Amino acid sequence: MMIQEVRVITKAGIPDSKGEEVRYEISHALGINTVQKVRTARVFRFEGIGASDAALLAERLLAESIFQDFSVNSPVINDAAIVLEVAYKPGVMNPEAASIMKSAADLGVAGLLAADSSWEYGFYGENITGEDIERITSSLLVNATVEYVVKEKPKTLIIQGRPGRTEVIPVRRMSDPELIELSRDKLFLNLEEMQVIKEYFQRIGRDPTDCEIETIAQTWSEHCGHKTFKARLIVDGKEKTPLLQRLKKATEESKHPLVLSAFVDNSGVMEFYDGQAICGKVETHNSPSAIEPYGGAMTGSGGVFRDIVGTGRGAKTLASTDMFCFARPDTPDEDIPAGCLHPHYLLRRVVAGVRDYGNRMGIPTNNGSVHFHRDFRAKPSVIVGAYGILPAELCRKGRPRAGDLVIALGGRTGRDGIHGATFSSGEMTDRTIDVNSSAVQIGHPIEEKRTFDAILIARDEGLIRAITDCGAGGFASAVGEMGAAVGARVALDRAPLKYPGLSPWEIMESESQERMVLAVAPEHAGRLMEICRGYNVEATVLGEFTGDKCFSATYEGQVVMNLEMEFLHNGLPQRVMEAAWRPARFAEPQAVPKADWEDLFCRVMGHLNVCSKEPIVRLYDHGVQGTSALPPFSGINGDGPNDAAIMAPILGKPYGMVISHGLNPVLNMIDPYHGSLWAAAEAVSNAIASGVNPRDLVLMDNFIWPFPDEELLGALDLAVDACVDFVRGTGMPFISGKDSLSSTYRGKDGTVIKIPPILCISAFGRIPDVSRTVSADFKKTGAQIVLAGYRNTAEMAGSVYYDLLGYIGNNLPKLSPTALMQVFEAVYGAVKSGKVLACHDISEGGAAAALAEMCFGGDMGVQIIIPEDESAESFLFNETAGCFLAEIPAGSKPTDIFGGIPCQVIGKTTDSKVIAAEQSGKTLFETRLDRLKAAWRQPMKEVFRQ
Amino acid sequence: MKKPRVCVLRTDGINCDEEIFYAFAKAGAESQMVHVNQLRSKEARLADYQILALPGGFSYGDDVHSGKVLAVELTSFLKEQLNEFVDSGKLMLGICNGFQVLVRTGLLPDQHLGNIEATLTANDSGHFECRWIRLLVEPSHCVFTRGMEGSLIEIQVAHGEGKFYADPSVIAKIKNGGQVVFRYAGADGRPTALYPANPNGSLNAIAGICDSTGRIMGMMPHPERYVEKTQHPNWRRMPGDTVPHGLAVFKNAVEYARQM
Repeated sequence: MMIQEVRVITKAGIPDSKGEEVRYEISHALGINTVQKVRTARVFRFEGIGASDAALLAERLLAESIFQDFSVNSPVINDAAIVLEVAYKPGVMNPEAASIMKSAADLGVAGLLAADSSWEYGFYGENITGEDIERITSSLLVNATVEYVVKEKPKTLIIQGRPGRTEVIPVRRMSDPELIELSRDKLFLNLEEMQVIKEYFQRIGRDPTDCEIETIAQTWSEHCGHKTFKARLIVDGKEKTPLLQRLKKATEESKHPLVLSAFVDNSGVMEFYDGQAICGKVETHNSPSAIEPYGGAMTGSGGVFRDIVGTGRGAKTLASTDMFCFARPDTPDEDIPAGCLHPHYLLRRVVAGVRDYGNRMGIPTNNGSVHFHRDFRAKPSVIVGAYGILPAELCRKGRPRAGDLVIALGGRTGRDGIHGATFSSGEMTDRTIDVNSSAVQIGHPIEEKRTFDAILIARDEGLIRAITDCGAGGFASAVGEMGAAVGARVALDRAPLKYPGLSPWEIMESESQERMVLAVAPEHAGRLMEICRGYNVEATVLGEFTGDKCFSATYEGQVVMNLEMEFLHNGLPQRVMEAAWRPARFAEPQAVPKADWEDLFCRVMGHLNVCSKEPIVRLYDHGVQGTSALPPFSGINGDGPNDAAIMAPILGKPYGMVISHGLNPVLNMIDPYHGSLWAAAEAVSNAIASGVNPRDLVLMDNFIWPFPDEELLGALDLAVDACVDFVRGTGMPFISGKDSLSSTYRGKDGTVIKIPPILCISAFGRIPDVSRTVSADFKKTGAQIVLAGYRNTAEMAGSVYYDLLGYIGNNLPKLSPTALMQVFEAVYGAVKSGKVLACHDISEGGAAAALAEMCFGGDMGVQIIIPEDESAESFLFNETAGCFLAEIPAGSKPTDIFGGIPCQVIGKTTDSKVIAAEQSGKTLFETRLDRLKAAWRQPMKEVFRQ
Repeated sequence: MKKPRVCVLRTDGINCDEEIFYAFAKAGAESQMVHVNQLRSKEARLADYQILALPGGFSYGDDVHSGKVLAVELTSFLKEQLNEFVDSGKLMLGICNGFQVLVRTGLLPDQHLGNIEATLTANDSGHFECRWIRLLVEPSHCVFTRGMEGSLIEIQVAHGEGKFYADPSVIAKIKNGGQVVFRYAGADGRPTALYPANPNGSLNAIAGICDSTGRIMGMMPHPERYVEKTQHPNWRRMPGDTVPHGLAVFKNAVEYARQM
């Protein structure tokens, strides 16, 4: 039977907001002015039903006659200059298809075999050129990784395929070049590791199957195996403790009383109140996001949420965070390396991915940041975090027992993300987009949401022995890790598939999203299945935990894998790596021109690393779950930014959870040790500014580094030392972390771009009573403004101010963890005393930017006095972390409130809506708030059309 | 006193269920989470409840149209139960996605189950938006806003498809019939068509409506997100005795249900 097509369009005269959005991007992002109007239409296709049933679906489901028209098997946009249709490629799962099938069944339409949906665009304008359409298509509408322009009506919507046979790979006979060739683009292992595999199979007297060798490669990938962090490290000729061991040891030595689980589970867990525990995890998703930003960001969010529900014996997800690094959105096209996507497109699509996953799952995205630097043009950094809550008694990872069932829950398995773990560990090249296009997919948040709903019910009924998420490495990693101590056997043919045709090894390694793996005692399996049915969740018994300490798999009765867990998990040779950091020298600003203060201040506020990110935050549902007690923005006009997110996760209780983070890519280039201390200080300061006790905070690390050569490994070594020193100086432990060491781009022409090394530190913690916390917006006119904390204003390297002058500099802020702890304690004590009306920490843009933001929130001005012996520029724009601006009542003494730490009154709040500064009795500037605010809002407003 | 029973409807993608559950509990009701599958299988019956709450979220991913797939399911399988529930004088509240569902079932504006007379379509801005807005409570028949008429309240919107749209004749009927419950208001307290105070471009600034009996109400903004003082972004700037603006909606419902 032929495919039926229904097209639905908004009636003429009623705004087509999607069409408007596309037209805006065509003119603003692409600079094409020949397109006067864009109309959009939905296209729905059905297989197995006739035209009358298609018309019924159009009337009852697809089109609403109040504002839409439809057509059956005929075009609906008839008057446009050009009409083109964009659809997901066959095999990329379209989440909408299942809903259409469901509604068709609900409406009594019988015989429907398959459905699909897509978008059609009509472009209006007499002078549109073929070249315009080509650019609009390739830069805006179609991501060739997952989408295509439909040129002819598909003959069928059903994907067919026959599974490939399991192949035996003759590694025992392979020469070194052959081993390298086998690894390239597929396994991403080095020669030494390939040789270990070869020797193992020589020893046991057979060759491996494709399933076995792929499973080993997944388990041994940098992504899963953290080879660099576990390597023997020779720094400047002297051996030092491996990086991961150093971090873990520092945590152990901190003996923090609130830590319940550190570095052993999918997320780190700390004690909360009333028998509850809170947990956090931060992940990177750079490689997939670089080639398909929407799908990549979605699967990043989806994956980190699964880490939360996969913690202990199941946690509820409370919050989502996102930290991004991109090149400037206005980067000229010719600056973008071959095989890379434009940052304007990347930024918008990554934000859309985070938005759609978090919003649809009902998880508030309430903390994050965006950073811009030219060297992210080859690969962005996309960091996503998630936080959760669970009963403290369930906070330890469960251990499967022999005889427990291996149960897969949630989404079906497809050819998605094959080689995701190995791929994210490889360097990005201009071949990446072609070779690894199967490594990304479009997430399905509703699938994940209902799976979580079912899991939390099963958890509360005590049905779960152990749980983990199916992330990088698919079943190979999830079942392999869960069964590491006992052994596991799975029947791969039992796994429900999205479409036929997957080979056994593909089922094993597939990284299809929204899947969880549970260990369940046989007597609980029936009840678990019942719960899942009630929540429309597919659950399948894949196999069992065996007790034989092997990881084996069958397919239609044939053994396709049988590996010893010992070799899989402990056979990977420890790498020996040499590290030596050589400090770079950067030019220092010379002969700085005399400041035009108003212009300078506006340029600082409009700097991409300072400007308001409100247009992004508004796209995220940051209020869902009703837990917010300190939102990303507050104040009179709702546009004053806060430093941390505070939530009251148990409705009706005063207990708070705080979330914050810090990162700075520029400082790490100058000095990875002090840059990393800055990141940690910034993360913690953001939490402290709202009134959190520093003893109630824990930390998480994310190292995002270029592929570590000797020098970059030296930088990494220093960054880890900074983390360790921070733990020792403050007592705050790291309880979870992740490294992603592949941010290097190599072009065909020999271009090498090393992405700036990033350490993102995330902090989270608890507060006994959210009503004892403060926001950053100024509250009262006539109040005193205090600057508290240690800073040497001459340390200006890496600042926004230097960047505006065109320099980086060398003298960066150098922090002392013990001194920082004094400040943290003092600021916490000050807020606790109730005498602090508002508090904001100083970061990018310095005290000036912090002051302006506090003024925006309070809709009032300030009058400040700059000390005579200070350079006004340094006083205003120094970015030393661990310094705070606080509003205290007129007449109170700062030293009474802040104790012995350095604190000075720098001015007062006024009702003038002007920021005025004077030095030595002379007015430096009087700048109107609305001018500053306009400059501050402009960059993201432009990108996000708000 | 016996607590009224609230059925909080869940299904794939509903995600504001816990806060609506809590809001009703705080207002004095006894709530239960009920999955639509339980209603379909008769394991649970609407008749056992006095209030049906349709929470926000993205039911079935908001595929095709927001709330559409759930609306089709309700009209296909639960028509009788829903009609009986309405006819027996009980209350229905749809918030955000729940409002979209009520409109797409035809229960709003006029209890014409299966016949759609109004719609909620994509925001004029073209994007999802989460922000606190001001609402003017209109004089109406609505049971949920008794005693609130004429006041201005602040609550949060969080949606991408919230533009209330209908033919002029339907809008006039809703207006004249006292069925407009909430309108988006500007800083001056007057209804506004201007973004962002009117976050979606709703005709007549309509943010919420009720049926002609006042017992079925749907609204895009989220009163269940403001039943505790500290949920407001500026609670630190407000007097300590401020009553959260969303709570009255739930208290009114519970009070009415008690008299049943």
